[in-house]
Amino acid sequence: MLYGPYYILVEIWNLLTPMVLFHVLWATFVGTVVGMLPGLTATMGIALLTGLTFGMDPKYAIIILLCVYVGAITGGSRSSILLNIPGTPANAAAALDGFPLAQRGEAGPAIGLSATASYIGTVFGILCLAFLTPLLGQLALKFQSWEFFWLGIFGVVVCGNLTAPTDPLKGWIAGFLGLLLSLFGQEGIAAYNRFAFGIDQMRAGFSLIPVLVGAYGLAEVIAVMRERTHIKIPKQVGRILPRWTDIVQNKVHMLRSGVIGVLIGIIPGVGEDVASWVSYDFAKRASKHPELFGKGSKEGLMAAETGDNACIGGAIIPVLSLAVPGSAPAAVLLGAMWLHGIRPGPLLMVEFPNYIWEITAMLILAASASLLISLVGVRFQVKILTVPRPLLMPVVFTLCVIGSYAISVRVFDLWVMFVFGVLGYAMRTYNYPAAPLVLGIILGDMVDVNLRRALIRTDGDITPFFTRPISLILVGITLLVILSRTVWFRRAMAALFRRRPAVPTTQS
Amino acid sequence: MDYPLRRQDIYAAILLIAFSLFIIVESWRMPREMLGFPAYAGPGMVTGLLGLGLLGMALALLVRALRRPGKGVGIRRAEVQAYFAAPETRRLGLVLLLNSAYLLSLGHGIPYYVTTGGYLLATMAVFRAASWWMIALVAGLATTGLAVVFNRIFLVPLP
Repeated sequence: MLYGPYYILVEIWNLLTPMVLFHVLWATFVGTVVGMLPGLTATMGIALLTGLTFGMDPKYAIIILLCVYVGAITGGSRSSILLNIPGTPANAAAALDGFPLAQRGEAGPAIGLSATASYIGTVFGILCLAFLTPLLGQLALKFQSWEFFWLGIFGVVVCGNLTAPTDPLKGWIAGFLGLLLSLFGQEGIAAYNRFAFGIDQMRAGFSLIPVLVGAYGLAEVIAVMRERTHIKIPKQVGRILPRWTDIVQNKVHMLRSGVIGVLIGIIPGVGEDVASWVSYDFAKRASKHPELFGKGSKEGLMAAETGDNACIGGAIIPVLSLAVPGSAPAAVLLGAMWLHGIRPGPLLMVEFPNYIWEITAMLILAASASLLISLVGVRFQVKILTVPRPLLMPVVFTLCVIGSYAISVRVFDLWVMFVFGVLGYAMRTYNYPAAPLVLGIILGDMVDVNLRRALIRTDGDITPFFTRPISLILVGITLLVILSRTVWFRRAMAALFRRRPAVPTTQS
Repeated sequence: MDYPLRRQDIYAAILLIAFSLFIIVESWRMPREMLGFPAYAGPGMVTGLLGLGLLGMALALLVRALRRPGKGVGIRRAEVQAYFAAPETRRLGLVLLLNSAYLLSLGHGIPYYVTTGGYLLATMAVFRAASWWMIALVAGLATTGLAVVFNRIFLVPLP
């Protein structure tokens, strides 16, 4: 690990070819536009591009997807600041202070600050990715079937809890539904066709990319086309380049948000939107001027943007070390890696130790391109925001169709995409988060195979599920997460920590 | 205060209960011993357990919704009429109709340019996205661009 910086520099040097730079620039620009346009999210962008880059060299395909990821999370703040409409859910917190700044005629400085904070957050997350992944990878080597089973359940429960903070039951239902739907089709141990209903195509189950494109892409298309929106852009943008003093004054906020972003990124399936809100909340609590938050505070804007971008690196840490995604876009990235024959997980560090440095170098290029595009092309990007949605969304749907079809060349996958799109739209309408569903679909096979394999190994004895140290920790946290959302548990905790009234002393 | 999604939660819970019962029954009917593996490693083991978990959560959703104040389960004719008269509902119906018609047209030997160009023209026109010449221009450019970029440059097969 001591040689890490050297390896990263070597990988960056290897990537500095005209073709890679060309792909980095266009993909980051596409990502920025995707993130910037309300209704198009980072997950949708990566899911679409996964299908569309399927035929490319895996190295180019992965770097394109990483650039779209970084570009979209960074670009999403543009519409938050200019329109008060978050480009992606991750940029919702940025709208709280970004939009008031734009109303005061400081749209340009706000965009510049958010782009700089995003860059610092992304680089912080990338460095954590480079140095924490091998450590987590070492730990992951101790994982066996019992631990992998619990890791799948833990991921779905925690993700459901955090992505549906007001109603975790709906988050858990979405997660379990995802786990179940992933088990349709031929299973991996005895090759039995589960829930195939005599349909030949169902033997392969639901392909991941059409499901993701549907749940995130088509669901967005339906939601946006259903509403009629009018977009008004501020006429004055102003100076874009941020002032050095603003950056230096907020260094502590950015460092704190970076740590929060990475930690939230590592938690399976939670992702950038939660990281952004938690970073914002912590910055407000620590600020000397909390009263300015929500009224155009630069501290709030920078904290939120650092947090969500630091989460990118954090979310890729469990992808590489455990094959468990830390966020919804990372889930699609994991699927894309599988499609291109890359097998992330505990053995990645053993079989391809340099791959972490390669991913780190790719992300550094993506972050740099994103900063460049954010600071240079803002006036042109603002014009893109004025494109009417009914003109844009049908084109997006045709991209969904190509992306879903390209992987297996099956018309059946188009209908899978359509059904999951309608399901995703219905879930969104009735407050069921899509992230646990997607995470469940990714982790379903891991849960299934590892539970059954573990039972075979122990001759049906379930004791190791609760006695092995890592299993015990995962079970404990999972139960605690579930219990913490019950009323009686909260009451018990409140009673436990309630201060007892002081006993009056009697004077004689 | 009334819970706005009470009715929706009740219907969703009933659907989920039916779905999880179906999963449990089908899992039970799956072969228990295959290729010498014991029953606890059978293909219906995990699906059955997940079905039970989902059933428990669906019941919790149902009980919780029934205990909350809000709209009753019955749907009145006036509510249905108001729902279908709303412009959002009409737009939703149109999107689903146009998108499914486009999917139905794919994979039957009709050239991609015709199906996609037709879909884009129809959708943009129905939603009055822009002036006629702009719609025709965008639909034409988008269809040609998609076909050239993905089919010729990225070598992606088109439906």
